[in-house]
Amino acid sequence: MRFWRVIEPYIGFLLQGFALTVVACLLAIAGAVLLGALTASMRSSGNGLVRGIANAYGDVFRNVPFLVQLFFFFYGLPELGIYIGALETGIIAMSIAGGAFVSDVILSGILTVDAGVIDAAKVSGLSRFKIFTRIVLPIAMRVSVRPMGSVLINLVLTSSILSTITVNELTGAAKIVAATTFKPFEVYAVLLVLYASLTTLLSFAISAVHHRLNRFMTGG
Amino acid sequence: MIVAENVEKRFRDVEVLKRVNLRVEPGEVVTILGASGSGKSTLIRCINGLETLSGGKITVDGHDVSTKAGLVAARRASATVFQLFNLYPHMTALQNITLAPVEVLKLPKTDAEARARALLDRVGLSAQADAYPQQLSGGQRQRVGICRALAMQPRYLLLDEVTSALDPEMTGDVLRILAALAAEGTTMVFVTHEIEFARHISSRIVFLEQGELIVDLPTAKFFAEDGGLAVPRIRQFLSKMKKD
Repeated sequence: MRFWRVIEPYIGFLLQGFALTVVACLLAIAGAVLLGALTASMRSSGNGLVRGIANAYGDVFRNVPFLVQLFFFFYGLPELGIYIGALETGIIAMSIAGGAFVSDVILSGILTVDAGVIDAAKVSGLSRFKIFTRIVLPIAMRVSVRPMGSVLINLVLTSSILSTITVNELTGAAKIVAATTFKPFEVYAVLLVLYASLTTLLSFAISAVHHRLNRFMTGG
Repeated sequence: MIVAENVEKRFRDVEVLKRVNLRVEPGEVVTILGASGSGKSTLIRCINGLETLSGGKITVDGHDVSTKAGLVAARRASATVFQLFNLYPHMTALQNITLAPVEVLKLPKTDAEARARALLDRVGLSAQADAYPQQLSGGQRQRVGICRALAMQPRYLLLDEVTSALDPEMTGDVLRILAALAAEGTTMVFVTHEIEFARHISSRIVFLEQGELIVDLPTAKFFAEDGGLAVPRIRQFLSKMKKD
């Protein structure tokens, strides 16, 4: 089979790229969700300054192309005397960009939480931190987790841009193979399958989490 | 003792509470009556610190609820049951009841669960310990709400129209539990429209009219011709409530 003859010598290299993509995405997803939850909590704060800082972060990073953000960190951090690898830079940039969008969907979930439920938690003497982590966030997540899934899938797709700062993740690896073999169609067909598998898997995981968080709504 | 002195509450330019004075001694059951919008619920929400005062002072066992440390201590001394239950929807009945004892009182989880199961048993819900609020009827939810409050072993139980969202049969279930608590000497501040029940369990009744506390009388005196009934507004209120 012609297709396999083209790909076979490079499959190991492509899979290495795929592994790098998976690692970068998992870390960036964790970073984006943590940062997004933190930002959402700040955006629902009673303190105007805290709210302002969080809103400014969200506004800036939602409204600037990811490629520009990535270059800004990649070329800008060394200027500030911070020397980290391209992969680390990429993961940090993805976390920061993803966090801005995640905070949006978590905040919209927070706004659906019944004020009376929060009152009950307050009068029981729970600390603000406990109220947020034990009551507000879990209730918010049951509506936020699906839209958050779209954001995270987008983040996975965005990871291909890391190839522009010398990270040989899946797309970066594919560019090299395509340039070596002059067979871009075969190479990118493999990418199509690998990216689709990764996002499909993520989508299943999101559905499972959604189901788990909403188990108490179904009477089951 | 709960002491409210000259309590004022304004929402923008609407005066909801006007120089309200109230004392609740340990062992008392004090019922707050009044028409809708008279400020009853707001008064409860000022005592448990859900509203900040516009004027005056409230102390619970000497702890000023307007200070940070005072509010923490005041909330430790009291517990609130709400009109719309306000259960945590993502937790089972048992988890609703054990959350604060574990997180706030630092009770070991097994002790908190034992306490919660004993309370659920008492209100006839031992079989529903692992049910989520969504799976319970209104009356069952409110009984869980009462258990959640009692699990904190409060010195004062604040009850904010706890039967207003229930049908008469479920109301009966909840009132029986409250009557038993009153008989045990639980101190309660009770906002309600259940006049007959209030008459039965209260030691004192206060009447709020447009944010003013116009009458504060022992229960028997409140319902006497030369007591509360001598006040035209109260006579009118009571006769209207009877018709409903």
